[in-house]
Formats: sequence, C-alpha cells, structure tokens
Amino acid sequence: MKNVGESDQPIPLPNVSSSVLKKVLEYCEHHRGEPLPAPDADTSQDDTRKRTTDISEWDQKFITVDQEMLFEIILAANYLDIKSLLDVGCKTVANMIKGKTPEEIRKLFNIVNDFTPEEEVRLLALPHSYHQLILSFWHHQAQIKKENEWAEDR
Amino acid sequence: MASSSSSSALFAKAPSRTADLEETWAFLTHGVDHIMTRLDTGMDFPSYTNLYTTVYNYCTSTKMHGRTDSNRTGANLVGADLYIKLQEYFLEHFKPMKEKTSSLQDEDLLRYYAAEWDRYTTGANFLNRLFTYLNRYWVKRERDEGKKNVYQVYTLALAQWKQHFFIPIQKEDAKLAGALLRLIERQRNGEIIDQGLVKKVIFSFVSLGLDNSDLNKECLDVYKEHFETPFIEATEKYYKKESETFLASNTVSEYLKKAEDRLREEEDRIERYLHTKTRKELISKCEHVLIRDHSELMWESFQKLLDFDQDEDLQRMYALLSRIPEGLEPLRKRFESHVKQAGLSSISKLVGEGGNVEGIDPKVYVDALLEVHKKNSETVARSFKSEAGFAASLDKACREFVNRNAATGSSSTKSPELIAKHADMLLRKNNKMAEEEDLEGALNRVMVLFKYLEDKDVFQTFYTTKLSKRLIHGVSASDESEASMISKLKEACGFEYTNKLQRMFTDMSLSKDLTDNFKERMSQNHDDMDITFSVMVLGTNFWPLNPPTHEFVIPAEILTTYDRFQKYYQTKHSGRKLTWLWNYSKNELRTNYLNQKYILMTSSYQMAVLVLYNKNDTMSLEEIFAATAISKDILTQVLALLVKAKILVNEEPEQYDLNPGFKSKKIRVNLNLPIKAEVKQESNEVLKAVDEDRKYAIQATIVRIMKARKTMKNQALIQEVISQISHRFAPKIPDIKKAIETLLEKEYIERVEGSKDTFAYVA
Repeated sequence: MKNVGESDQPIPLPNVSSSVLKKVLEYCEHHRGEPLPAPDADTSQDDTRKRTTDISEWDQKFITVDQEMLFEIILAANYLDIKSLLDVGCKTVANMIKGKTPEEIRKLFNIVNDFTPEEEVRLLALPHSYHQLILSFWHHQAQIKKENEWAEDR
Repeated sequence: MASSSSSSALFAKAPSRTADLEETWAFLTHGVDHIMTRLDTGMDFPSYTNLYTTVYNYCTSTKMHGRTDSNRTGANLVGADLYIKLQEYFLEHFKPMKEKTSSLQDEDLLRYYAAEWDRYTTGANFLNRLFTYLNRYWVKRERDEGKKNVYQVYTLALAQWKQHFFIPIQKEDAKLAGALLRLIERQRNGEIIDQGLVKKVIFSFVSLGLDNSDLNKECLDVYKEHFETPFIEATEKYYKKESETFLASNTVSEYLKKAEDRLREEEDRIERYLHTKTRKELISKCEHVLIRDHSELMWESFQKLLDFDQDEDLQRMYALLSRIPEGLEPLRKRFESHVKQAGLSSISKLVGEGGNVEGIDPKVYVDALLEVHKKNSETVARSFKSEAGFAASLDKACREFVNRNAATGSSSTKSPELIAKHADMLLRKNNKMAEEEDLEGALNRVMVLFKYLEDKDVFQTFYTTKLSKRLIHGVSASDESEASMISKLKEACGFEYTNKLQRMFTDMSLSKDLTDNFKERMSQNHDDMDITFSVMVLGTNFWPLNPPTHEFVIPAEILTTYDRFQKYYQTKHSGRKLTWLWNYSKNELRTNYLNQKYILMTSSYQMAVLVLYNKNDTMSLEEIFAATAISKDILTQVLALLVKAKILVNEEPEQYDLNPGFKSKKIRVNLNLPIKAEVKQESNEVLKAVDEDRKYAIQATIVRIMKARKTMKNQALIQEVISQISHRFAPKIPDIKKAIETLLEKEYIERVEGSKDTFAYVA
C-alpha cells in the first residue's frame, strides 16, 4: 500500500507528550525482542497478567515515578496499545490501592467522592477487572483535569 | 465528500478530544470511505494516526453523548455509536455494488465479485486496525457479556458483506453459484477457464462462514450451502449423463480410460480450487456415478478382457472397481472360473479327442499345467496388484484343475502320479529336459503344482518309489538336487512327510560303508574272491520294495559270496533278517566264448539263465525253469529279451541255444531292460500301498482325536478327521466310516450306551 508503513515520515502522536514518549521509548527499548503476549491473553488462563506482585525488578525501577508521570504512562500505553507496559502501570496502581480503605484511596489520589452510597455498594459488587476500573477512573480524572485547564485558559 | 488524489495529510484536521458523535463520525466517515474505496491512492501516517486517535478519543471520552445505560456504573465503555455508524456505512457501501451486479452474468459477475472482494477485504483489514480501540474494549466487553452478534470490525465487515451483498445476489437464482457451476462445466467440457477466479470466489464463500460460538474456527456453512451441495448435485448430473452417452457409442475399454481420466481430473480440481473437505463427498459421488452405476457392465466385459489378455484394461478395471465396496468380488469369481476353464481346456487339448490318457507324457502334462498357472499368476501380479482375493481365486482354480482334468478323469491319483514321474525324470542322470543350472528352477516349478495337490500322500508314495529306483540303480542326477527337493517337500509338508525319504539316503551311505568293510574283511580271510560284490541293505519300512514272489535258485557262481555275506552280516547284526531282492539286483558278465570280449549288463534272472550256458550250449524251457525256479511267466519274458538281443537263439519252440556268432557294436551290452509286466504292476502296487497307508492314517487320526476329546459325535468326528487330514489327501467319507468300524472292532473306541452316534475313547 502506498505511503503506509514508510518510516521517513514523521508520525504525529497528539495524545502523548514528549517527556512521556521518552519514558515509553525507554521501556520499549529495554523490552525489545521479547515475544508479544498472545492477543487474547486476558481471556486465557494467563495468571501472570493478573498477579499484581509479578513485576520484574527493572520494570519496578522504571515505574517508580511520580503519580502524574505514572498516570501519563498508563494513558500512553493504552493509547499506543502496549499491553505489557499497560499491565505494569496498572499493577503498580493496584499495589498502591491494596489494603487501603476507600477514604484512604480518595486521599491518595486526591479524589472527590461523587458516588452516592448506593452506587458505591453496587460498584464494589461488580466483578470488573481492576484494570478496567483503573482506566475508567483515570480517564474520568483526565477529563476533569483537562476541562479545568481549558477553563483556566479561557 | 472532500476527497482528492493528493496523498499528503488527507485528514490533518482531527476533531477535538471532546468532539461529539456527529463531529467525530463526520471526520471518520471520510477516512473509512477513503480506506474502503481509494486505498490504492495511499494514506499517509499523519492521516492514519489522526483517524486512530479520533477513534481512541471518542472511546475514552466519559461523556455519554446522550446515551446512558443505567445498568453500567463506573466502568462505562463507549463505542456502540461508532459501531452502529460503521454498520450503516457498510449498508450504504453495498448499494451501488448491488446495482452493478444485477446487470452482470456469469464470468463477468464472477470477475466483478472477485475484484470487489479483494478490495473490500483489504479495506476491512485496515479498518480493523483503525478501530483497534473499539475492538479492544467495547467489542470485547459486549462479547464477554454474551452479545454474540457483535463482532470485531473485520468480522463485522464480512458479516455485513454476507448479509447485504452476498445473500441478495444469491437470492437471484443462486447467481454466483450458478456462474461458478457453469464455468466448471465448461472446464469439464474441455474449455480453458480462469481457475484463479473460480478459486477466489469459492474461497470467499469459505471466509463468509461464521461460527458464532468460536469465531476463530473455520466454518463451512456458507460454502456448503451455496456451493458444495449444488456442486455435488451438478457433478452427479453431469457424469450420469456423460457416462451413459459415452457408453452408448464406445466400448467398455474406452469407458474405463474415460472414467479413470475423469476421476483424476476431479482429484486435480480439489487441489486447484476446492476446499479439501469436499474431497470425500465429491470423489465418492463420482465413484458412484462413474463406477458403481456401471459396475454390472464392467463385470460382464471382464471375461472378454481376460480372453484377449487386455492387461492395461484389466488393470484399469481392477483399479476402478477396487474403489467401490463389493466391486471386486464378481471379478474374483469370474477370474476363478476363467483360470479353471483355461487349465481344463489346456489339458483336454493335450489328451486330444482320442482320450489317450495312458500315453500322456508327464513333462508335457506338467508344462501345460504350469503354463496356465504362470500366465494367470502373472495376470494377478500385473493387473490385480497381487491383491489377496485374486491370489486366492487363482489358487482355488488351480487346485481344481490340477487335481481334476481330462487326463485324470475321475481318478484322484493320476495327477500326483504324473507330477511325481516328472520330478523323477528331472532328477535322473542325463536328463535332457532341464539344463543343469535350471534344475533347481524346474524343481521349484514342480513345487508350485505340488502345493495344489490334494492327494499329497499319493505323490509321496510315487516319489518314494521313484527315488528308491534312482538310488538302487545309481541314476540320480546329484545328491544336492535330491536333498534340495526333499527340503522343499519338508518345508511344504513337514518332517513326517519326508522322514522316509531321508532314511533312504541314510541307508545308502550305510550300505556303502558296509560294502567297503565286507570287502576288506574278505580280502584278509580269503584270496579266492573272483567276483566283485557290492550290497545295499535297506530298511524294509522305509523302502517301497517287494521281495520276489517266487523261488529262486541261487546260481553256484555267486553262492559262496552270498553265504559269506550272510554270515558276515549276522555276526555284525545278529537277529536281523536279510531278504534278498533278486528282482532288483543286477550283474555284469564277461564273455569268453566269443572272439570279441563283451561285458553283458544283466538282471539277476538273466544272469541265472546265462550262467547255465557255461555248461550247456542248448537248453529247453523246462530245463531252465528247473535250474532257476524263476516263475514261468517271468522266465519267458527274460528269455524273450535275450533272444531279441541275439545272445540266445530260439529256433525251435521252447528250445534256447547260445548264439556263437553274437556281435555288437558296443563292448558293454545292456540287457537289463524293464519287463512290461513290471511297469504296469508298479503303478498298481503304488496305489495299493497308498490305499493301505490311508487306512492307517485315518485310523491313527481318529485315535488321536478321540484320545484328546474322549467322547465325540459321529458327524463332528468325521468333520474333524477331514480337516486334520486334508493337507495330505482328501479322505472319502465311506473310508472314514470304515475306519471307525475297524476301531470299534479292535476296541480302541466304543459306542456310548443309550446313544446311537456318540463314540467314546477306550483307554
């Protein structure tokens, strides 16, 4: 196909800032050559993806960043469809949440509780995977943040 | 639509992150359309990334865009709107295509369809990547929740194609399948067609099959319904018609070729453009129409092919009929009767119209049998690939005509006799029939026939008699050949069968030692040995030899030697009885009464007569009889031979004078010719011996069976005897009954009380 796959053309990535992209590239460089996870890895009985403690030493070091950066890396990994990096990010967040009360979590991430008590109960009862939850939550946060920024800009 | 042929940043202005559905889709629809319809003009990275980002942004926005699903809280996934828009896009997309196809037929239709398929599937593949984010979250979630009619974008594209493009075309008289079938029919008619096109269209049918329970599994529903089933039907119709028309104006041989070619063509067709799963049904349908439906006719023409040795056609017929169940059985039966007929008529020709059974030459007879066997076993190997069923038919037929033919008449012993005689001639010294190096081969051929013999015991008896003659007269070709033949027989029938034969060889070598030892002893004790003497001492049980039935006065000339040997033997083996077989002995006499010295080779009876002329020149029959005690009917024949050889002169009745003027070109004169009465007697004696042996064999078998079973019913016993003994000969039921009677008399077995037909073994 013409013009598809040629590498001399710059590829715009409107959703990733250069500092985050650098981090992402660092990750990708390090893991270059490793086999890609199977496309349906999360539907299969692949436990390693679900085990939150299973983060390699290098990855752990790599992901030890401030909350802002962690949050950007996760979004970038999701956008760029880098499964393993998304996993590392989400597992890290899950580890941060583990063992904390909702109140402590809200404090940790600076969240305003906008759920009604009824909604909260139902949410906890749903069998969502942690990483759908977290993503949804981050996107929610991102939206609020961006809207605030634009509001400030105006 | 704002489109241009320029390829630089077609879609540079992406909508904002918070753009709503309308704005988002307005942007995306251009991209989608470009990918689906103008991908050949290319697409640059910025445009592609912009489109991808637009999908991502829309799917990650938390705004509900006017649609809220009250059941979902927290982790809402956005995408349903995009999915619906895509579906709508495809629907629109097909409209002009459908219009186009309605005006197209046959090959044009297929060409258009195939080209569109290529374009469409390539585009759909790109769309699938463009909408990765939708696939990854929204579609996955929908499917996880059990909505099986939601697909990944590529699959959605196929499902839409099937439902809104493919099915509508097919609804018009199965337009696509019809076009395919007509094209394939043209190929069957010998035209060249675009096979790549056929293959592309057919395999699009395969791709359109969706197994909703497992999308990764190949599903042939569409292929089967829209192509395979009508294709198989069309094939059946086509070949039914073709084979019938073809056979109406061509020979079966031609048809065999045709059918073979057609089957090969269909195999090729599967390789070229059909799904491999179609093979089984297509081939079995073809076999049915091309072979099974005409098998009756093939069976009928089989005989003709055999009669004219049409090897290639036979091969073809075999190959074709072996493909259908029960196809070969009628051939096997026909082949069997053909071989049998060939064997019978070959022998009938040999015997001739006069029915001269007596004068039949064993070699000619054996050669005739072998010829039929060879020819037909070659047919089995060449045309029927040595298939076991045909080999069995051959064996069955051979067994039949080897044992019963015009030469044997109703006698079951004639064939074994002739074959044994042939073997004898092969194994004799100076046989001109078989070259030295081919003797082994000739013996192997004898074994071929031997295996078919039912009365192997008759063969055995004749063979033993002939072997004894060869050994006694020293006319065996070689010990190696004899041993080789015996080992062949042993291999075929076991140790017991050849035991006697081997004992005969033992006796021969023992006799040689005995003669040497005797000579040595005599030379130590006596110096008056003026005759050379050699002796064979043969065990009565192993040798089929009968002592003379009449008195014999041992001539004084050999009496001393006779007595000395008697004594010598008795001291060596006391208690053994020596019976002198004068009728088998031979002598050499030197003449002193003629100018030329001759050596006369004679039988003992001739010698006994001739030595009388040492003292007399003329003698009457009565005088000779008195001096020798040879029975008169033999004596007259002995004398007749001597007269014929002109040793004696018989000018007056019953008076025999020595011929003083005897002349011969040879120094050694052989007078020892067989006497006619002996020849005829020989065959009869052999048969008598066989009968006797059989009686004992049957009795022994019955005793063996009864000893094992203790009690047995009459019928079962007879069956068991037949099955155990038939590898040696075919027993007659009256003989078995007689044997049972004999054993009852001898009290080996008894009737069980209160039962008529049950016997018990008496221990």
